[in-house]
Amino acid sequence: MKISKTVSSLMFLPFLLFFILFWMVPFLYGLYVSFHSWTVSGGNNGFVGLDNYIRILSPGNMYHDSFMNALGNTLYFVVISLVPLVVFALLLALLIENIPGKLKVFFRTVFFISYAVSVTAVSAIFKWLFTGNGGYINNVLEGFGLDSIGWLNNQPYAWIAVLAATVWWTIGYNMILFVNALDEVDASLYEAASLDGANAWERFWNVTFPSIKGVFVFVTIITVIASFNLYGQTLLITEGGPARSTMSLTMIIQNTIFSQNNLGMGSAMAILMGIIMVFITLVQFLIGFRKDDNA
Amino acid sequence: MKKLLMGTLLSSAVLLAACGNGDTGTTTDSEEIPEEAADATVIRFLNGFTGGDGAFMKEIVDNFNDSQDEYFVNESQEPEHYTQFRTGDYELVVMHGVNLETYSADGLIQPVDGILEDVGMSINDFHPAAEDLVGLEDGNYGIPLDIHPLTTFYNKNLTEEAPETYEDLVTLSAELQAENENMYAMGIPDSGLIEFYTLTLAAQNNVDLLSEDGRYLDFAQEDLADALWILHDMIYEDNISPAGLGIDGEFHAFMQDTEGDSGGNQTAVALTGPWYYQAVSDAYGDDLGIGSIPQLGDQVAVYGNSHVISLAASVEDEAMLEGISAFMEFMYQPENLSNWAASGQAPLHTETMNYIEENADEYPLPYQNQQMFDDYVAAPAVYQFGEQIRYMNETVIGRIVREENLTREELMEELENATGVAQEIADTAPNQ
Repeated sequence: MKISKTVSSLMFLPFLLFFILFWMVPFLYGLYVSFHSWTVSGGNNGFVGLDNYIRILSPGNMYHDSFMNALGNTLYFVVISLVPLVVFALLLALLIENIPGKLKVFFRTVFFISYAVSVTAVSAIFKWLFTGNGGYINNVLEGFGLDSIGWLNNQPYAWIAVLAATVWWTIGYNMILFVNALDEVDASLYEAASLDGANAWERFWNVTFPSIKGVFVFVTIITVIASFNLYGQTLLITEGGPARSTMSLTMIIQNTIFSQNNLGMGSAMAILMGIIMVFITLVQFLIGFRKDDNA
Repeated sequence: MKKLLMGTLLSSAVLLAACGNGDTGTTTDSEEIPEEAADATVIRFLNGFTGGDGAFMKEIVDNFNDSQDEYFVNESQEPEHYTQFRTGDYELVVMHGVNLETYSADGLIQPVDGILEDVGMSINDFHPAAEDLVGLEDGNYGIPLDIHPLTTFYNKNLTEEAPETYEDLVTLSAELQAENENMYAMGIPDSGLIEFYTLTLAAQNNVDLLSEDGRYLDFAQEDLADALWILHDMIYEDNISPAGLGIDGEFHAFMQDTEGDSGGNQTAVALTGPWYYQAVSDAYGDDLGIGSIPQLGDQVAVYGNSHVISLAASVEDEAMLEGISAFMEFMYQPENLSNWAASGQAPLHTETMNYIEENADEYPLPYQNQQMFDDYVAAPAVYQFGEQIRYMNETVIGRIVREENLTREELMEELENATGVAQEIADTAPNQ
């Protein structure tokens, strides 16, 4: 069926409208606010140019200290969460692909269902599991004659707790994307590889991975973005501690805007965070394409 | 096709209009306004009572609405009620005492002296502690509701009486550990309620945290370092508290049962928030004791936060002010405000305090806590108090509690950092 350009334009119009209304306008407004001294309650107190950005990027003030601390924490979490959330999700998908049909549906559902749980519930469960005094994990450790650990008030244990909660909560989503990609791989390629005497690893590396590479890059990008937006887990499980070591960028921005009543500074932080995320995503994108060209 | 295009654009315009700002009187109402109150003056009353105490405040509001038909109090209980208040339209808001300086400086609330006068009350109708809580330079910025001080709960199976001194705690801990090495006198958390501990210790050691110019919290004081070091000694020197208790550790350790399956360290006493009363009461029943805060420093003193009812700066309408006065007059009757005491909160209203004293068995927690009002020390009134003390709560106290090998020099360095942050926050106040 061929549709006219006018009709297709009309069908595109609702998306355009909502894109402008709920993305473009807030973004541009946020950018505008970031160049002003602006409070949540008092509104605009005047144009300050790049002052907010300069203060965030210049050492020796609390905005710089808190932003840089949170940026470091967030990047650390992005790094430590990438392998479990992408590679483990792929391994899980491969595992599910190689089990009989009915069990496949069952396990696919089981692994995905945690994604439907709210971050509040997930955080409550993991906070209980990892509580230092009388928590479930420590009780198990003590049952084996091991010393208990102050999971939530010492590093690196606090990050381990946050990471465990995040992986349990979200790995199912990435896994589903990989399962769907694996379903699309041409079975005849595996047969050809087997005839050529390829072992399991060679089949994966030469057949499976090239076939799902696009999805792999996509999953990596959305995982980095999701990890960058770390908020609920650290807010509810560790409250940003110990000693602000799990304070994420989103927590700092939220605190600057609503607790310190400084919308201008918070908006500048959010814009900087966005620029950093765009840069990292662009690098991932370029790396993904470069490898495609070489292939 | 042009008609279709026009239709779409029109629909879009309608959609945009629907998404735009409506009447400024629109609220995020938590309840429907009943038909019989359609002609009433609606008073939008915002608070953050989303826990167990919410039902008790609602009862007061409902009783007022049922008692007359000229005014209707539309109560909203919101978890992020401060954000709601900054961005929404409300006439009355329940605030914490430590936030009055900030919200008055930001021009969001106004003095309530006119309301008090209309009701026939004055600040003298409240416990003297109320004056420090609500009195700012140009008037009283809230009608005092309650003080929720650091509260002592104790397990009568482990100690017959609440410890009154530091020495009592040392003795109790030694006795408990002679029986079971996992038992301690009390627990020190590394975050959460730690602000109450900090300010109580400062008050008990006669440390004034307000800077000379009255703008910021000055933590960089040797006397404060001495006072806070008591927490370190309680854990690493005198074995009063186990090490490594995390957020809300004082409460969790009190709720542990070392003879059951839960494992971990158990404490006989908890210095915690009165809002845990229902939980500890359910767990211990008749074995729960409530005491006064022990003297850990040079003098008896206790800190806690407070609730006050404030008037939005935007309220000017006479009919609205009359309605608010009528609501306050109703609320501040002992038979009505005792509903608030039933939630475990300790009202500051003198007549209600007398009522509670006469019915102490019915209100054990408020009765016990109002005994401490004479020793209550309010937080210094500074702009953005919570932000000024945040570095102390999140970093400094945690290091004292967690790091056995922390040195005094390192502590003083951190106290100077905390003061630096407090000064920077103070500099963000309007008209600086």
